[in-house]
Amino acid sequence: MKATGCRLISIVILARALAPATAGESPKPVLDFYASEAKAADPGFTGFSAERGEHLFKTNFSTGKPDTPSCTTCHTTDARKVGQTRAGKDIEPMAASTNPKRYSDQAKAEKWFGRNCNNVLGRDCTATEKGDFITFMLTQ
Amino acid sequence: MANCAAGADVTRVWDLGVRMFHWLAVAAVATALLTGLFGPPNLLGIHLAAGAALGGLVAFRMLWGFMGPTYARFSSFPVHLTAIDADIAGLLAGRRPRYRGHNPLGSLMALALLAIISLSVMTGVITLGGVDKQGPLAFAMTYVSGKAAQSLHLALAYGLLALIAGHLLGVAYESNQAGANLPLAMITGKKAASATDHAARPAKAKPLLAGLCVLILMAVAAHQIMALSSRPALGVPAGPLDPTYVEECGSCHMAYPPSLAPSPRWIAIMDGLADHFGEDASIEPGLASRISAYLTMNAAEKWDTRAAHELQGSNPQDPLRLTATPFWTRMHGGIPESVFKSRAVGARGACEKCHSDASMGRFDPQDINIPERASQ
Repeated sequence: MKATGCRLISIVILARALAPATAGESPKPVLDFYASEAKAADPGFTGFSAERGEHLFKTNFSTGKPDTPSCTTCHTTDARKVGQTRAGKDIEPMAASTNPKRYSDQAKAEKWFGRNCNNVLGRDCTATEKGDFITFMLTQ
Repeated sequence: MANCAAGADVTRVWDLGVRMFHWLAVAAVATALLTGLFGPPNLLGIHLAAGAALGGLVAFRMLWGFMGPTYARFSSFPVHLTAIDADIAGLLAGRRPRYRGHNPLGSLMALALLAIISLSVMTGVITLGGVDKQGPLAFAMTYVSGKAAQSLHLALAYGLLALIAGHLLGVAYESNQAGANLPLAMITGKKAASATDHAARPAKAKPLLAGLCVLILMAVAAHQIMALSSRPALGVPAGPLDPTYVEECGSCHMAYPPSLAPSPRWIAIMDGLADHFGEDASIEPGLASRISAYLTMNAAEKWDTRAAHELQGSNPQDPLRLTATPFWTRMHGGIPESVFKSRAVGARGACEKCHSDASMGRFDPQDINIPERASQ
């Protein structure tokens, strides 16, 4: 009896904790998801690094599509600034400080990493790279 | 005649109505010709105002031709063949018969000017309705009929220029030969008179009747024009774009109205999202086919706007790109590359940065505002 009660309460707590996350208010669940994926791919994974994320963001790879050699092509080198797509549309800042809704929607994150890693790197990003990228943006 | 202080050698010919009409028409014709032939497209509003003014002015002049004083009346215009023959013979012999009002050739010129201005206004309204999908005939005119009217409208503009040249030559000649300062006469209304002048049978003006007719005509016309203009334009997409389409396709570029490309082009674009003008724009397959269906169902073939017609022509070198189409290239030819590269515009495909009504699939000339130029 007591055990089931505890279980119920913990389910409620868990549900409360998850509810806002699925509604897209915190980047934590997305980061947690990438962390678990990273661990699955590499048992030696010790955590994400903002430094590696910054490197990913700012490096000119030129290994993807010719018009998009780096993330900064469209997002500018300052993550707090408004970027612009090649078609002239404004892109809201990537930095979480200027745009708190960022990185809270798993499906959105996957959609844009899926497209843009291919555009810039010419390949999919690893879970570690995605986590690093978000971790860097959370410091900006 | 009390105000004819100078004596019998000066007489009042042109009444205030004729003079006002003449100079207002001069201003409106000059405005219409300048904006129509040389103006940037966003001055269409001024062109239309000048055209509307001319419509009203000509209507008034027609009425005044039947209800005005002696020399305002068409019945005073000596346009019968014997008078015209005599006028031409006199012109060739260097001894022209004198008329107190219009001479025969001058009368013909006045009538021709009235006719060509009327025709210009009519073809202008048809052009506006069919090509721009604006104004009282937008509900009825197809793009094709609008284009035909536009060719006529342009031809009439050149015809009008030729008539104006003829009119000015005639006035200059007459002022020189007969010693009558005709431009001044059209300002003061008074002309030098001589006993041998051909004078018309005096007629009394009916200003009250004419004023009433003008008022009624204006009221009916304004009401009709407003009622007709509020009807939905023929073949113009109405209502908002599909929200899923806007969400999925409007993140990187403006959500181009489906009417801006024919359906085969939309299908080709949707089939090639993995390399979408140099970028990976992949969409989940189920969603992609839904968007594809929306685009093809509302593609250019379904509409009658200028953009829908003209953008169907494609550039074989770059067949899918809107901004590579011959029409787009022609329409944007005078715009320097720096405008497209500027932060305010960003790219050739950012229609909405200069065309505030682009998302509706309309590209009204009046709604063009190029940011770079505005800030200069």
